[in-house]
Amino acid sequence: MAPGSLKSILTAAVNTGVTEARARIFGHVLNPTGLKSAHKILRKKLIGEKVAQWYPHDIRKDDPLIMEAEEKERTNKLEMLKRRGKGPPKKGQGKRSKRKS
Amino acid sequence: MSVCRENANIRDNHRRLLAEKFELRRNLYKALCKDTSLPDELREENRYKLSKLPRNSSFTRIRNRCIFSGRGRSVYETFRMSRIVFRALASKGMLNGVKKASW
Repeated sequence: MAPGSLKSILTAAVNTGVTEARARIFGHVLNPTGLKSAHKILRKKLIGEKVAQWYPHDIRKDDPLIMEAEEKERTNKLEMLKRRGKGPPKKGQGKRSKRKS
Repeated sequence: MSVCRENANIRDNHRRLLAEKFELRRNLYKALCKDTSLPDELREENRYKLSKLPRNSSFTRIRNRCIFSGRGRSVYETFRMSRIVFRALASKGMLNGVKKASW
């Protein structure tokens, strides 16, 4: 038979008709020519909420007493180090920034 | 079983919150600027808006860290902890339904 034979033309027509009807019924977005479309990005589900819930909530944060006690310990430790001269250096005086200049 | 205060974890948490906040907008801008059937100045405008969003609101900047030790590598997503902590807890029997495999 000839290359553009009647049977192949008919099947192509029927297929396109079926796909268009299906899209009309179910609300699909069609792209017969295969051009780039923004639909691919828009159809994804949103994951932001799940991502933001990775770290569990620390219940120690709810108790102000424990928080104050821990903060006091931290400042005491820092003070001890500073007394010995081992506290953090001023800005621009650290090892790396001194080496650079 | 305390959750350690790790600076990297704090930073990562900050990024996660920002990503959640800007997610919808980001998706919208990206989708609009990639649509070839729109006029060019609209695409350009959306590309500009996308670049104006804070960098820390990108999902690619988030790293699944271990919630106990803050380790950035070899963290299992189902347990949210690194292999070292997983092994320690599983040996103690603190992980439900996890036992040493042998077959």
